[in-house]
Amino acid sequence: MILAAQIVILCLIAAAVLLGGFYFPYPSPLIRRWLPPRKRWPEMQIRGWLKSGKFQRAFLSHFYSDPERVAPPGNSMLAPADGLVTSADVRGGVRYLVIALSFWDMHVQRSPVAGKVISVESHGDGFMDGEGREFAFLREKTCPVQKRLVIATDAGLVAVRLITSLAARRIETWVNEGEEVTRGQRIGRILLGSTVVLELPATSKLLVRRGDRVWAGETWVAEGLTLP
Amino acid sequence: MSGFLWTAGHLGWGIFALSVFTGLWLLLSDFCWRLTRIRITRFAATMAAGWIVGAALILLGCYIASR
Repeated sequence: MILAAQIVILCLIAAAVLLGGFYFPYPSPLIRRWLPPRKRWPEMQIRGWLKSGKFQRAFLSHFYSDPERVAPPGNSMLAPADGLVTSADVRGGVRYLVIALSFWDMHVQRSPVAGKVISVESHGDGFMDGEGREFAFLREKTCPVQKRLVIATDAGLVAVRLITSLAARRIETWVNEGEEVTRGQRIGRILLGSTVVLELPATSKLLVRRGDRVWAGETWVAEGLTLP
Repeated sequence: MSGFLWTAGHLGWGIFALSVFTGLWLLLSDFCWRLTRIRITRFAATMAAGWIVGAALILLGCYIASR
């Protein structure tokens, strides 16, 4: 009886160790759940899935997660996406706040302001490699696949660009022209990857800097929206 | 020594404890390695030292129990 129990315990441990070896260098299913997302699905593994087109179900479930967000009180503009601020340059009187999303970020975008959607435009015919490099999203023809939502507020216009990357598949927008949106409302989703650009008047005061991490519908990114 | 390897119709508690400890230590090492950003050589040395201490304690426990 004791011998049988010992053998069972040793077999279970051996199976766990062998499972770890089988999945190495990626984490085995036994420890995966206790790791943070970036460690649970290393970038190299995700890039492998992008090539093969086969994804781990748990990863997709994480990727498509859409948690509830509570917009903080006030009138400041909110981040339209989860990610890292990679640029906040001004060009032609418009400030482009570029937010790069990683594979592990939540990919549902939210309205930065309350207002009326006055246009939902599709642009571009080629994919780009993420992060809005060199403002490629502003170029004609060579610009990446993107959707641009313009929202009119009492104090002026704000636009949100949803941009795909090489890894991205497509963009969904969940609001239509003429529709009223509230601050922090879901407006769309980029499927697999990419960049979101918030276009603001150059006069608006930024509350974030390059390198800051922001959360859609929760982080204040700018205030002082005024008519130009 | 025979009690360490085999006793009363089952595996000796010494070798059993050592095997279980080694397996769990390997799993723990893998988990910790994924959570830390330490250099692999330093991490391996730390975990090896931990295993030696654990194994020594098991052997010491067996020695005291068999006296």
